[in-house]
Amino acid sequence: MRNDNREDYLINILRLTDGTGTVRTTELASYMQVTPASVTEMLKILSKEGLVNYQRYRGVSLTEEGVLKARELRRKHHIMERFLTDVLDIDHEQAHDQACAVEHSISEETADKMCRMIGTKIDADCTTCKNPCNDGTVTIVKCIAVSKMRQGDKGKISHLSSGESTMVRKLISMGFVPGRDIQLTTSVSDKGARIIKIGEATIAIDKDMASAIFVNLE
Amino acid sequence: MTNIQVALVGQPNVGKSMLFTRLTGVGVITSNYPGTTVEFDEATVNYKDVVMHVHDLPGTYSLSTNSEDEKVVMEMLCDNNNDVIAVVADSTNLESSLVLAIEVCELGLPTMMVLNKFDLKRFDFDIDTLTKIIGIPVIPVSARTGEGVDNLLKAIYEKMARVSDYRVQYDGHIVNYVKEIMAMDPSITWGMAIKMMEGVGHYIESASDDVRKRIEEMNEEFTSIHGEGMNVHLARDRYGDAHIIAMTVCKRTEQKSSRKDRISEMTINPSTGIPILIAVLVATFACLIFVGGLLAEGIETLYENIVGTALSDFGRQIGGELGEAIMTGIDNGISAILGLVIPYIMVFYILLGILEDSGYLPRAVVLLDRTLHKIGLHGNAFIPMMVGLGCNVPAILSTRIIRSRRERIILCTVICMAVPCSAQLATITGVTGRYAGFVWVLVLLILLVALGTISGIVLNSRLKYEPSNLAMELPELQMPRLRNVLAKMWMRTSDFFKLAVPLLIVGCIIIELLVSYGVLDEIVDPMSWLTVGLLGLPAVTIIAFIAGILRKEMSYGMLVILAGTQGITEITDFMTPHQFIVFGVVMSIYLPCLATMTAMYRELGLKETVKISLATIIVAVAIGSIFNAVLNVIM
Repeated sequence: MRNDNREDYLINILRLTDGTGTVRTTELASYMQVTPASVTEMLKILSKEGLVNYQRYRGVSLTEEGVLKARELRRKHHIMERFLTDVLDIDHEQAHDQACAVEHSISEETADKMCRMIGTKIDADCTTCKNPCNDGTVTIVKCIAVSKMRQGDKGKISHLSSGESTMVRKLISMGFVPGRDIQLTTSVSDKGARIIKIGEATIAIDKDMASAIFVNLE
Repeated sequence: MTNIQVALVGQPNVGKSMLFTRLTGVGVITSNYPGTTVEFDEATVNYKDVVMHVHDLPGTYSLSTNSEDEKVVMEMLCDNNNDVIAVVADSTNLESSLVLAIEVCELGLPTMMVLNKFDLKRFDFDIDTLTKIIGIPVIPVSARTGEGVDNLLKAIYEKMARVSDYRVQYDGHIVNYVKEIMAMDPSITWGMAIKMMEGVGHYIESASDDVRKRIEEMNEEFTSIHGEGMNVHLARDRYGDAHIIAMTVCKRTEQKSSRKDRISEMTINPSTGIPILIAVLVATFACLIFVGGLLAEGIETLYENIVGTALSDFGRQIGGELGEAIMTGIDNGISAILGLVIPYIMVFYILLGILEDSGYLPRAVVLLDRTLHKIGLHGNAFIPMMVGLGCNVPAILSTRIIRSRRERIILCTVICMAVPCSAQLATITGVTGRYAGFVWVLVLLILLVALGTISGIVLNSRLKYEPSNLAMELPELQMPRLRNVLAKMWMRTSDFFKLAVPLLIVGCIIIELLVSYGVLDEIVDPMSWLTVGLLGLPAVTIIAFIAGILRKEMSYGMLVILAGTQGITEITDFMTPHQFIVFGVVMSIYLPCLATMTAMYRELGLKETVKISLATIIVAVAIGSIFNAVLNVIM
């Protein structure tokens, strides 16, 4: 069996579950426009390889290894797609279809170099995507405000959101920049200050500021 | 002689001020928390055949937020024709230091990087690679030990600073925008265009209307594509680059000790942190009262033994009776004031120095944040308050770390009204405490805390709400070094010997002259409705209060001198314990000293200064009168 097909399953499960949820076999089948039987067939194989958790009638979810693999693919997909739309000026639909085909065959290195050429840092999440590719279904990026993190939680900053531009500027200048890893070490009290490790620095911010920073939890 | 202009820039708490002191030998206050330098210092160094003018700029995290301190730094960087911009980087946190360094490099100025705290050796650095990547010389130094400072001077002397050709790998759209702006107006450089796109006032204001309009369009377009503003994305790209560079050139050699982390955690976690905070404050005051009290007596005895009647004898020889009176007055004044300053003020500054250098204060800030919200302030108000216990002038200046004007007004009022400076504190403990009993020290301190709280609450409800937030980097905890603590103590108290003692002598001569011509009583009489009538104090105390406006330490010194003019040698015969209490109350609340008022005028303007000063007089007289009335009944 060709690799492409297996990888297509992984990436589509990722699109439907966002890495954490479960999707029913029938849903996956209709999304991929294949028969439920072939889905079941493939899921058994993927399950044996430790990439998915599959239980009959319960649906399917990605294992940790599966998520990693699928995210790597999705990143390549995004890069390829953006390369086609931004650099070669190809329309989005075509770019998406072609990216689906090429994503399996380009190397990490090629992807990185393309990424540099486009000039936008592209990651596995859909934050830099013009049109998320999971068609009808809504992408739910699982991100929460830092004020809602629990002690010890780690994550990557996804975006900043506040009505006050001075607050956003202040946060950025102190290093709260999308893409950086942070950890909540202490929450003084529910309404009190939050102590955050970011890079080599430890910074205390109050709850208002913590509510303006959103992270993708690790 | 050639002049070289050098500007030290860097993020808060990377050790710029300590490096400044190392370079120039000019002492500036250095502490282990962000934002110690609020005004820039300047000093010169003679090195070989050149004179270097070194400017220590306030610490800034970036050059993109339009905050007041960043504007100051931006203007200094761009308009001062600096020959060298030395970006001071923290070798224990290279990634964030690099971000600022990159921003400075983008401005196209002759720059070099000073990699400070190199003695900590927490990372292995590949200096050559770093130099090659960012295109400016990198000089490792340790401001703490002095290692590498010679190399830095040499590098400045040999004009090694370079205009970097480093370019951040910005987003493709952004690069196109930059090119477009540069094409619209050829006088705009790469760096200027970037700063304009970030919306930095200094640059955007100088741009033409066309450029400004186009940038607004670009920002809208960019936001619709990327889902975040250009300023966010520029920062993201800069951090991305800084991260990659840091990963390339440094390797961790030593883990930060987990014991430090645990202690740090204990100071922040409320269940252990609040008891620690209370213990620290109680210990500070206890130390002040008891160690100060012990020292005070020792010093006065010592002074008497050494000087004895030498001064008054000398006075009689040169000026007869008047001379003797003046010299006796001076003698008493000096002994009294020495007994106040050395024990109380110096002890306080040693304690404050230890707290500052340990890095504990920012942790107290975090704990107190919620509490201070109740009086309309944030936790960061705690540091100016602690500094204010030493002297209100630097306290008023350090309110600059607070951005909201509303909060600064509240904080300045609280500081003037309720935070006794070390001279006032010395009067409370060394005068009221000594002559009326220590329980009154407690009563007065509680009174001040209540007064501060009430004035905060009142102002908080009256002033218009302005959003404001707390964000503060927590420095690592460290052992305070005796040398720095003592040096700071000396810097902060030497003024007293230079200013207060001469003032006291002049004041004393004036008073003795007034007495000998018999006009003192006439002068103090018009105010006796206040001193005698309302406060129940001797009429001449008005002189002590007026002297206190010049410098707070003067009040007690003058009081002793005034007692002398009434033919009383023992101060306890001059005023009753009850009068000492009222004196202490009024002293610790009324009018800030001249220097504080000047500082406040500069920071807040005339209107607020007058308002706050008047308020303190009214409150002081009101509370003083109440104390007088109540004490009359119960004592």
